[in-house]
Amino acid sequence: MPFAVERDLARRALDTARTRGATYADARFVRRQVEDAVVKNGHVDTIDRSDTFGFGVRVVADGAWGFAASQVVTADEADRVAALAVEIAKASAVCKTAEVRLAPVAPATGAFRSPVVQDPFALALEDRVGLLVAADAAMRSVKGPRTTRANYEIWREEKLFLSSEGADCEQTIVETGCGISAEAVGDGELQIRSYPAAGGRTQNQAGWEFVEKWDLVGNAPRIAEEAVALLTAKPCPQDVRTTVVIGDAQLMLQVHESCGHPIELDRALGWEAAYAGTSFLTPERLGTFRYGSDTVSIRIDSTTPGGLGTFGWDDEGVPASEGWAVKDGVFVGYLMSRETAAALGKPSNGTMRADGWARLPLIRMTNVSLMPGDAGSLADLIADTDDGIYMETNRSWSIDDKRLNFQFGTQLGREIRKGTLGDLVRNPTYTGITPEFWGSCDAVCSASEWRMWGTPNCGKGQPGQIGHTGHGAAPARFRNVRVGVVR
Amino acid sequence: MTLWTEPELRRICEAALHATNGDQAEAVVSALTSGLTRFANNTIHQNVASREASLQVRVVVGKRVGMVRTHDLGADGIARAARSASEIALQAPENPVFAGLPPARPIAPAPSAFVERTAAATPLERATRVASLLRRARERRLSAAGYLSTTSQELAVASSEGVWAYAPSTMAAVETVVTGPAGTAWAERNAMDLGRIDVDAVAEEATAKCLAAQGPRDLAPGTYEVVLEPYAVSDIAQFIGSSLTGQSVEEGRSFVTGKLGRKVTGDVTIVDDPFDPELAPRAFDYEGQPSRRVTLVERGIARGLVYDFQTASRVGAESTGHAVLPTPTATYAALPQHLRIEAGTQSRDELIRGVARGVLVTRFHYTRWVHQLRSIVTGMTRDGTFLIENGEIAHPVKNFRFTQSYHDALGTTRGVGNDLHLFAAGEFMVGGASRRVPALRLGTFTFTGSTQY
Repeated sequence: MPFAVERDLARRALDTARTRGATYADARFVRRQVEDAVVKNGHVDTIDRSDTFGFGVRVVADGAWGFAASQVVTADEADRVAALAVEIAKASAVCKTAEVRLAPVAPATGAFRSPVVQDPFALALEDRVGLLVAADAAMRSVKGPRTTRANYEIWREEKLFLSSEGADCEQTIVETGCGISAEAVGDGELQIRSYPAAGGRTQNQAGWEFVEKWDLVGNAPRIAEEAVALLTAKPCPQDVRTTVVIGDAQLMLQVHESCGHPIELDRALGWEAAYAGTSFLTPERLGTFRYGSDTVSIRIDSTTPGGLGTFGWDDEGVPASEGWAVKDGVFVGYLMSRETAAALGKPSNGTMRADGWARLPLIRMTNVSLMPGDAGSLADLIADTDDGIYMETNRSWSIDDKRLNFQFGTQLGREIRKGTLGDLVRNPTYTGITPEFWGSCDAVCSASEWRMWGTPNCGKGQPGQIGHTGHGAAPARFRNVRVGVVR
Repeated sequence: MTLWTEPELRRICEAALHATNGDQAEAVVSALTSGLTRFANNTIHQNVASREASLQVRVVVGKRVGMVRTHDLGADGIARAARSASEIALQAPENPVFAGLPPARPIAPAPSAFVERTAAATPLERATRVASLLRRARERRLSAAGYLSTTSQELAVASSEGVWAYAPSTMAAVETVVTGPAGTAWAERNAMDLGRIDVDAVAEEATAKCLAAQGPRDLAPGTYEVVLEPYAVSDIAQFIGSSLTGQSVEEGRSFVTGKLGRKVTGDVTIVDDPFDPELAPRAFDYEGQPSRRVTLVERGIARGLVYDFQTASRVGAESTGHAVLPTPTATYAALPQHLRIEAGTQSRDELIRGVARGVLVTRFHYTRWVHQLRSIVTGMTRDGTFLIENGEIAHPVKNFRFTQSYHDALGTTRGVGNDLHLFAAGEFMVGGASRRVPALRLGTFTFTGSTQY
């Protein structure tokens, strides 16, 4: 057992917390190893490894929460941190308005491991970096890009969770991500293309086989050529309403921002008001609010293979689960913690996750996915569209603090004319109000076009935490969308 | 909570450098002791403390570079990190544009950014101050959310080239969104000294504005004259600052590319001043290079850029001492870390009085580049947006989406506030940038949409 010593320390911390007055306590020990590499403009820019190990103790005392963490893994420090967590909880209680209540859960026991075909850490460094060098060179074989980048990240987290209610479980999560991008500059224009997704890379719970499946080298020349071609492409039509077909790599971010965040129950209850805000999906709307068209169904599922939100248990020891956020267009489900679920008289569906040992768990998206429809392939969907714009790969994203008004920009657009893709369009943007936008969705591509995407960079909380979330999506069509906001 | 202290950080750095196997080596230790009391719905719901120090070791073999970061600062952990970085450097492909590690250069003394009262703050002290703020919100039948944090940071940089630099600093912050039945408002204060933060004044500002913000009316999107509170100006400063770097010009992403010496904004002056005693001063950067005061924009004319050592070497410039802590995917980069928009002569109320018809914006939300080269940013207004008519605040209006070139907006500057507000990098100030900015009155600002509240 990799956590033999730490298990004893966790028990000690729980005992100390109980002795100091905690009515509930949990302890998490987390080791995270990450390697990132970047090849930029033909040179290895970065090979960076990090290794972090520590523990956090979360308690309820005097009916309020406290949390403390340390990287010093000793018995004395376990005592100190547990005592500090209780001291903090008692300080929290000076202005409490209600006692903390937790929805019941059976104590978690056992172990979970991400399925991995090819352990990315076992591969030779030169093989990992060599692939980036080749992909970067393939982009630079095209004349024109100013800046090229290729990168990967491999990520392994091992964690032990014990609670005063008897939970004792271990998990090992392995993730692998990769991406390439090319930037072209000229005549007052800056254009970027990236692959397979925006933001540097896409990521899955998987081994090196995930990198190989994307064929970075084979796609590199196309990406570079598109970046250059966009410099002289026609501008997106300015401030018009039209039909938009959105590719799955962009649509997954639309799901993330306009569904994933608003269904976080802590946000809906006001607990995140000061940072990214609240949610228009307030509890009285649960089960009745028309979120989108009948075509729109969105699933919460922490069991989906490969998803960045897949696990055995969340960081409160609640087992992985699956359910609906939106079913046939109606809002029916939240992402919940034990505390927020209790406020609705429901059991938790297990979505509390922390960014390492030094942060406390928050409600995070697990895998929140738009389910496939019956519109066939992307080619079928385009063929079925008379007039509009196809938009692909995110470039810009923003949404208001209730998750209603959003605006996205994509790297690439293409005209759709009489069922065929036409000229490139540069600087495409689209904007709308969330339920109106999803209400205008009249077609989602079939399961053959559905892919699980990963966003390894979701920010939430104060102090800030980075979450890894999964989003499946297939291309979809939306009618009467406002596009072309940029002058 | 006690500091790690300079001798301890020096010992860690020296142990790391000693254990490396390469031509050059660098060790950076960032040690943080942080407490944050978070509240919402008029109660404390998250209350945390952590103590964490990380070591970053960079090893150079010829033109090959390896970097490793670890939290394991025991003897074995330090040695393991140093060995691992050395192994990477031996195996990595060459980077022909790598300029080597920078030499040691004299570092001028900077004012202290460390205040013991902030470092020593207890959970009960934080909670008591929060309780006072919440009491004021409750008295007005409003609901407050936000946080109060205290952080102490120690930064140490050492290298085989003789670099040694160490500085402790502290930051205290309180921010709050206050919510009423039909409107919200914001207030925020940051200071190196917790004792200089008047929580009751923060509560008064936010609650008074919240009461004024109830019942916002529709106002058509369009181009308006605006007065931006410092909270909103801080966002503009952050985006503009990120484009005033050597690397962003080198890569053609900056709006000042090819425009140094030319007019790029209206009558505003933007400097980066690592020695400003009110701006979390620090005299060196994350490469251990001395930080220089740099005039970035002088009365609208683009004058200078900030550089890290690697970028400066590549483009034939000199490091200004603005390297940031490397991230896994951005090893060599610079940012203005002590950015100041120089104060003007008018009070906030005088700025408002000058506007015949316009919009008062408290703050921006979820701002992102739409087109960096043109400095076009989109985002929302939030927590107190008002129509100004005939120099007076007429009534609250529903929030807008804007899609606006920030430097074009600065090009229409009609007034600069006389009161600078300090903004810290974030809740915990790891490797980030602080800013001091005034309120601004801008002639045109384009709102491209609106929301329902």
